[in-house]
Amino acid sequence: MIQDPPYRTILKPYGAALLELAKQRSDIVCLSGDLTRQCEVDLFQDALPERFVHAGMAEANMIGVAAALARTGLIPFVHTFGVFATRRPYDQIVNAVAYPALPVRIIGFMPGISSPGGPSHQAIDDVSLMRAIPNMTVVDVADAVETRQVVRAIVDLPGPVYVRLKRGEIPVLFDDAHELSLTTAQRLTDGGDVTVFASGMMLAPALGAQRVLAAAGIGVGIVNVPVIKPIDAATIREAARGRRAVVTAENHLVTGGLGSAVAEVLAEAGGCPPLSRVGLRDTFAEGAASGPYLFQKYGLSTQHIVDVVWSALHREGSAPVAPRSAQLAAGEYSPV
Amino acid sequence: MATAIRLRAVRMVAPQGFGYLGQALSSAEQFAVLYGKALRPGIDRLVVSPGHYVIAAFAAAAEMGLIGDAELATYGRDGSPIEAIGTERTPLLDYTCGSLGQGLSAAVGFALADRLHGRTDPHTYALISDGELEEGQVWEAALFAGHHRLGRLVVLLDANNSQVDGPVDTITTLEPIAAKWQAFGWQTRDVDGHDVSAVAAAVESARDSSAPTLITCRTSTVHGLDCLPPDADGHFIKVPPELADAAIAELTDELAKT
Repeated sequence: MIQDPPYRTILKPYGAALLELAKQRSDIVCLSGDLTRQCEVDLFQDALPERFVHAGMAEANMIGVAAALARTGLIPFVHTFGVFATRRPYDQIVNAVAYPALPVRIIGFMPGISSPGGPSHQAIDDVSLMRAIPNMTVVDVADAVETRQVVRAIVDLPGPVYVRLKRGEIPVLFDDAHELSLTTAQRLTDGGDVTVFASGMMLAPALGAQRVLAAAGIGVGIVNVPVIKPIDAATIREAARGRRAVVTAENHLVTGGLGSAVAEVLAEAGGCPPLSRVGLRDTFAEGAASGPYLFQKYGLSTQHIVDVVWSALHREGSAPVAPRSAQLAAGEYSPV
Repeated sequence: MATAIRLRAVRMVAPQGFGYLGQALSSAEQFAVLYGKALRPGIDRLVVSPGHYVIAAFAAAAEMGLIGDAELATYGRDGSPIEAIGTERTPLLDYTCGSLGQGLSAAVGFALADRLHGRTDPHTYALISDGELEEGQVWEAALFAGHHRLGRLVVLLDANNSQVDGPVDTITTLEPIAAKWQAFGWQTRDVDGHDVSAVAAAVESARDSSAPTLITCRTSTVHGLDCLPPDADGHFIKVPPELADAAIAELTDELAKT
């Protein structure tokens, strides 16, 4: 089910999947906010120009137009970077899309610090913003297999969806038998000591940490949580039960996203193990040359997950060191 | 019909003693034209961008028999879908929203949708207000509509020079309005918004166009109701019982003359 690292990568799995589905579904329309190639929908524009709309650098209007298209029975897929998709047209998403529960699919590229482009380009709060909105479904997929599947998985959901997608070369973590579920978080490994809940790009470093910790005799259960809203509370409760510690890992601020969602589930359940959250902590990041540098600096590396688990279990001595190959897992890097 | 819209609007706000009467007074002729002449039910669409204007839309719809008197009487009341500021529960309209500046994008989207669906006959009408032009989204939508030459889009701009903080022109200079929209690829008309035949003629002339049309309707939030005090707040007029009685009497007399 899970491939072994180093993971091979695939280019533009989203753009190819959207085009494939749109060829079968004439109700799909594609809007782009001046980031067409960057959001992989140059493939759509070239093949189906009559259903492709340049909205230009005008995100508020793009959301409003998409909402009206949806009211007439079309299914608009709206594309820009995650920062621009969520921060700029927030009121438009709330009032024109989410409140009427229209099937607008908002695709935000470059999640978290996968962009070395600095705070203006790093969507570190997009999950939090979208998770706050009633009717919205929020998805953060982990690899190319899930990226390919997410298009078909969301196309017929009755309400709006926000999907955050990594750009560029996308690692393949799962084999072809894997099925993305929008309702069930998936327990990928068993481990009696600790459960790590990971979403999106943090699944690869979480799996890397699991291997390092297993070698040190610590059993880590990894749960893939691609859907942060609505959260699969039952699986989270079950996977946390009886563990000595629980950890969340997200390429995002620890407030408002996966860490908060898991914390809410466990606190409402009561009697849960202590929770540690891996992610950005009340800080903006910065521009840089490479993704791995930022993942290291802002606490999102494989080693950070290893250290957090080690500390949560009150183990003595220094934590095991993740091999360099795990530190530079393909899932941690994306070009601007 | 404009007088009848004003009379219904007064009756709608009278029970609460305040409300968005000014919006109905300034836009009565525009809604009289939209509902009385322009809109083809089931074919054309109507967007009322500022949700505060639904009072006028409902009053006009009631004149056309599209909504009953009993339902109209629930305007603004607890549990009523006829909310004072338009929402998704609002009947009759294709889009309205209390968060201002969003309606033109919806209208643009409907006009674009007709094109994508291959429908060449429908018109999309939108009513927007001058205060909304302060919102950047309106200009995003205007650029988009001009670029795509959405000729089936007809926009009535209720230029009543009124917003919450005072006269629009004391807060932001919008003029020259027509030149701005022309520069964005629109055709424009500028009319006395209380001259119903002028508004009707402008709408008629806009129907067959290769470019979207903006009809600037010059209006006042106290027009057609002489008994209002000269300092009435156009955005949110107070209508105590004595004033409501006087207004109903004045408008009933006016209606009898027509």
